[in-house]
Amino acid sequence: MISRQTRAIVWAQWCSTRNRFFRANRAGTAFTTVLGVIWYGAFCYLAVMVAFLLSNPDEPASLRNALPAAFLICFLYWQLIPVLSASMGSSLDIRKLLVYPVQRRDLFRLEVVLRTSTSVEMLLLLAGAGIGLLLNPRVPRWAPLALLPFVAFNLLCSAGVRDLLVRLLARKRVREIVVFLLVLAAALPQALLLTGGSRGRVRQFFSSESSAAWPWTATARLAEGEFSWLSVSALFAWLAAAYVFGRWQFERGLSFDLSEATARSAPSARAASRLEWWFALPNMLLRDPLAALVEKELRFLARTPRFRLVFMMGFSFGLLIWLPMTFGSRAAGHSLLADNYLTAISVYALLILSDVLFWNCFGFDRGAIQVYYLAPVKMSLILAGKNLAAVLFVVLDVAAIALVCTLLRLPFSGLQILEAISVTSVVTLFILSIGNLSSFYNPRAVDPEKSFRSGASARAQAMLTLAFPVALLPVALAYLARYAFDSEWALFGTLAGGAVLGAIVYAYSMGSAVRASEERKETIIASLSRGEGPVAS
Amino acid sequence: MPAAISVHNLRKMYGSKAAVDGLDLEVPRGCFFGFLGPNGAGKTTTIRMLMGLAPPTSGSIELLGLAMPEHVLEVKGKIGLVPDESLLFDHLTGYEFTEFVGRMYGLERPVARERARELLELFELDSEPRKLIGDYSKGMRKRVAMAAALIHRPELFLLDEPFEGVDAVGARLMKEILLEQVRHGATMFLTSHVLEVVERLCDRVAIIQQGRLVLSGAMAELRSGSETLEDVFVRVVGAERPAETLDWL
Repeated sequence: MISRQTRAIVWAQWCSTRNRFFRANRAGTAFTTVLGVIWYGAFCYLAVMVAFLLSNPDEPASLRNALPAAFLICFLYWQLIPVLSASMGSSLDIRKLLVYPVQRRDLFRLEVVLRTSTSVEMLLLLAGAGIGLLLNPRVPRWAPLALLPFVAFNLLCSAGVRDLLVRLLARKRVREIVVFLLVLAAALPQALLLTGGSRGRVRQFFSSESSAAWPWTATARLAEGEFSWLSVSALFAWLAAAYVFGRWQFERGLSFDLSEATARSAPSARAASRLEWWFALPNMLLRDPLAALVEKELRFLARTPRFRLVFMMGFSFGLLIWLPMTFGSRAAGHSLLADNYLTAISVYALLILSDVLFWNCFGFDRGAIQVYYLAPVKMSLILAGKNLAAVLFVVLDVAAIALVCTLLRLPFSGLQILEAISVTSVVTLFILSIGNLSSFYNPRAVDPEKSFRSGASARAQAMLTLAFPVALLPVALAYLARYAFDSEWALFGTLAGGAVLGAIVYAYSMGSAVRASEERKETIIASLSRGEGPVAS
Repeated sequence: MPAAISVHNLRKMYGSKAAVDGLDLEVPRGCFFGFLGPNGAGKTTTIRMLMGLAPPTSGSIELLGLAMPEHVLEVKGKIGLVPDESLLFDHLTGYEFTEFVGRMYGLERPVARERARELLELFELDSEPRKLIGDYSKGMRKRVAMAAALIHRPELFLLDEPFEGVDAVGARLMKEILLEQVRHGATMFLTSHVLEVVERLCDRVAIIQQGRLVLSGAMAELRSGSETLEDVFVRVVGAERPAETLDWL
């Protein structure tokens, strides 16, 4: 039964979403809607394909082989993608709701339902699978019902994982260790799959022969219409375990005191002083007020949990996840990825960092925008300060990648390092140009204390899907030139051309951004001052 | 009848630092209680613990005769809260927010809706019904928080700087409403830095510093002689020192 309070929360969130929608920038809303339609439309198409495939009564063998692996992939996507993209979907703003007399179990139910926001894609595919199985005459009518406990299992698991990670990542000293462990966990399957010995066991794990005790295998068996008490018991045992885990983590999250956790893990004076040289760097190279602006950005970002998480992910995720794929297989030798490994990882780091450094550069220190407007400093200089700080962090991330690659004795030449730096620089110029505009046209307040982005943030996805290909275009042309002329000179020449073009685009976009900052002053300040509804998205 | 607030040996540690250090406090029912202290003294932490937002490290809390956290839901249902502004929902209108709060306290939707309308009229927030809280001025935000706190007729009010940023007319209105509630038997627990307001409204005060209670008593007793509350406060927290100026200023 839905309680009165639950209905009130849902109603308030509906009002909040409606109010925001009708007051939002029309162009931005249309843009986001179009992208949402394309993205989820693609998954709807896939779901229809899955439905067609599973409704075919003539392919029982392929069905039997494919389903366990498909459900395992579905589980991994549901649990890992939100972590890898540092975006844990919508969740209740517990801090605001805890002051009211609402039952904890009601809050938990809502929180579990909100976990659907992290994996609408998988829900679409599972719905397709359910319809396909329902239409398959060889499959009993009850069989597709097995998908329901599997969905509930994933939702509960996801709720538990989210609460656990949010709590762990709030503690400064624990955060870095957790990120490192996550990176290792994400890299482990590929490392096992691609490096000799354990390959057989991993392949078996993904295949239809894996134990029926796994939730994906049990679901697959039941969904095929192969009833057994073992599968039923296994599936419901996993469901019960996921409920206990999810509820336990939720309860711990409710009694979690962020201020206390932050105070416990406050950095020591010695640790703070170790970073002073980094913060003082702009003062050696620049004059005030630019030096002061860059220093402020460096200090602020370095203390921001979300930035620190993304920065660490920037060099560690790319390295550890792609390393086994690139160099793990003994037969790999020279592949496209192996030849361009350093460049690819550097661009990936840039992609990960772009959400916090470029697209919405006033979002974190949203209160500062008013100071920027009041200070006797040109907005172009403020933007330049933010851009320079972003570039310094990108350089640091790329340097960390190069250092780790050198320590691992990966086969890189000086030319490849130069290539990685050149490509990253050109792409950075274009991303900065687009980011400066988007920071003034689509500003939004972001809580810097939250390590994970709350919502999927369609705009951020939109920027990634549309802006990144544009920024990569000159680089693609440079590689095309190398392929056509079979010469490194062609690559570097085109990249140099791209850099000149990027500088022109940057200068032009800076002018437009500064004009927008004046014309949209009130909207920008208002957008950066707003909080959320009962659900943070 | 048990006290409205009864706190014994309350302690809250942040790392090795005690934000609240062995606090004992009794707030009788029907009293307008001022809870004072310099910045960082532990007032907000205490209020957060009373609201159930921060678990105490040790000690006990009883509100309206009910132990926390054992009776947390029952207690919350009887409390009216004027929190700091961050607990408001910026994308709701004042009317929607007040109705939402009413429903969260278990009122039927038509009742919550009707009371929300009346409260917004009372607090003079009804002239722009479609305006979002995010677009409100600071004073308007405090007024809507106060309106929402009243919707379920609570027995105990926890007021965190309720007059901050409110204009003189709005503040007068809010004070009158609060005093009226006290006359009807409600209890007020008020934190404020505006000592003149505390002096005028409260019949009892407590002053904390570095998490410890340094003074508590009836207003009339504390202000013996010609001393104002400000004089008492400055003397008790030990902040009396000659005003210094900087050479370049």
